[in-house]
Amino acid sequence: MAASRAINGSDRAQERLQARAPEMELIREAQKGSRAAFDALVRQYESQVLRLALHLTGSEHDAEDIYQEAFLKAFRYIGNFRFECSFYTWIYRIVTNLCLDQLRRRKTRKEDQAVLVDHSGDEIDLLASVSDVRSFSNPDRELDRKVLGERIQAALTKLTPRERMVFELKHYQGLRLRTIGEMLNTTEETAKNTLFRATKKLRTQLAGLR
Amino acid sequence: MNCEVAHERIVLAAYGELADDQVHELDRHLITCNECREEREQLLALKTLASVHPVQEPNANLIARSRMRLEEALDALPPKRWYERWGDGILNNFARLQAAPVAAALLLVAGIGAGSLGGYEVAQAKTAHAAAGNRAAQAAVRQAAVTEAPSAAVANVSSIVQQPNSAMVEVRYNEVVPRQIEGTLEDPAIRQLLMMASEDANSAGIRDDSVGLLAAECRAGRGCNAAGIRDALMVALRYDRNVGVREKALRGLEPYVAEDMRVRDAVLESLLNDIDPHIRSEAISILEPVEADMTVRQVLSTVATSDRSPQIRNVSRQVLSRVPEIQ
Repeated sequence: MAASRAINGSDRAQERLQARAPEMELIREAQKGSRAAFDALVRQYESQVLRLALHLTGSEHDAEDIYQEAFLKAFRYIGNFRFECSFYTWIYRIVTNLCLDQLRRRKTRKEDQAVLVDHSGDEIDLLASVSDVRSFSNPDRELDRKVLGERIQAALTKLTPRERMVFELKHYQGLRLRTIGEMLNTTEETAKNTLFRATKKLRTQLAGLR
Repeated sequence: MNCEVAHERIVLAAYGELADDQVHELDRHLITCNECREEREQLLALKTLASVHPVQEPNANLIARSRMRLEEALDALPPKRWYERWGDGILNNFARLQAAPVAAALLLVAGIGAGSLGGYEVAQAKTAHAAAGNRAAQAAVRQAAVTEAPSAAVANVSSIVQQPNSAMVEVRYNEVVPRQIEGTLEDPAIRQLLMMASEDANSAGIRDDSVGLLAAECRAGRGCNAAGIRDALMVALRYDRNVGVREKALRGLEPYVAEDMRVRDAVLESLLNDIDPHIRSEAISILEPVEADMTVRQVLSTVATSDRSPQIRNVSRQVLSRVPEIQ
């Protein structure tokens, strides 16, 4: 907890200080081979990368792997960065592609489908015994928050990787649909339609049986 | 507006993506359409539900582990060869030229024209001599390959060609030629080499020596205003992995913390982020002349509550208590 507060406090101060070091200078230096400049870029984006990877994968180990691959790729290909988009979009493009690969692998393996067991070893059907989705508007009163969170995760696994990614970036990371389109190398319109499909599917998954 | 369009706009509105005039239009539709109002309720409930699976901030251990693993992987990568850096530089410059196509085309045409004319005249004069010289050089290379091992350290091998129907193999390589230069620290060439050495990833000893010399110059007030020296010390302070190097850099920057905002920022970053408590403690003492600065006070306040070391937290609180609040 103390470490988290330390990181939060120092992050805010760090942001103020780093605002004075133009990012473009760092990128140009990194492109010339400066490891120090690349390390500075990593520090600017590492928390966001880990936050996204951690929420998508639910695993610190997988989030570390994505972090490693993303920044190694960035290091290898930073010479190709032409300032046609922001570095933020460029890095996120790398990370989202890696996350999509991870989600596709999980879909193929099917071992990460949400099947939980209770204390007696029986499987829990997370989507049963839900009378009305409106009852979740006050979850503290209706259901245990942890089980509810697991139910959401189960529903999210039913989405296609792209639907999951768009929903994650829009709902959880708060990005604009236009930005999401750029990151996923598609149009804003396609990102919108993907979001519609994702919300529709989630509502179906979570509506349960009346 | 039909309900199918309304359903999509309900999603966009819920996520702040709908234009203001369309929000107004949607609101008017919802007044009269029960089904769409129900749709909106369901979507808002979904948003509430989804927030039960919150995004968590990565903890300090995860960040530290990930960072360390990345640094090890990057350290293990071989450094780019000179021709790879040269190639990257050419590609980057070409990419910049692509943004000015007309100028680029003119430059290209002019360059080709001038180069062709000059090259033709030079080639006419040197053709016979060059041919004889090449034959001799290749013979020497083959001879050398047979009779001598490379005498200097080999930087890299640039090509390997096996002669057809022959046991002969031609290897072209580049040599590292050690050189030496002597001079005082006022010599620009010496300073330039010391600044390069301060970023030598391979040897902490070399970095320590170079940063020590540059820092001594700065502390003595000699030539630290020259471009690059102060920057080299700040880079060493921020990023060098060796605590001795960072300490020397910090000492070298001390005289400039009052007049140079970039130096002050670098020292404040050390105070916040350096893993060595001795460095963080030294940073506090170096910031003494600027204790009243607002940014310094903000950082000291953060450190006073969140630094890992109780001594540093105490010292920060003492510094804050002896300087009155800025009005």
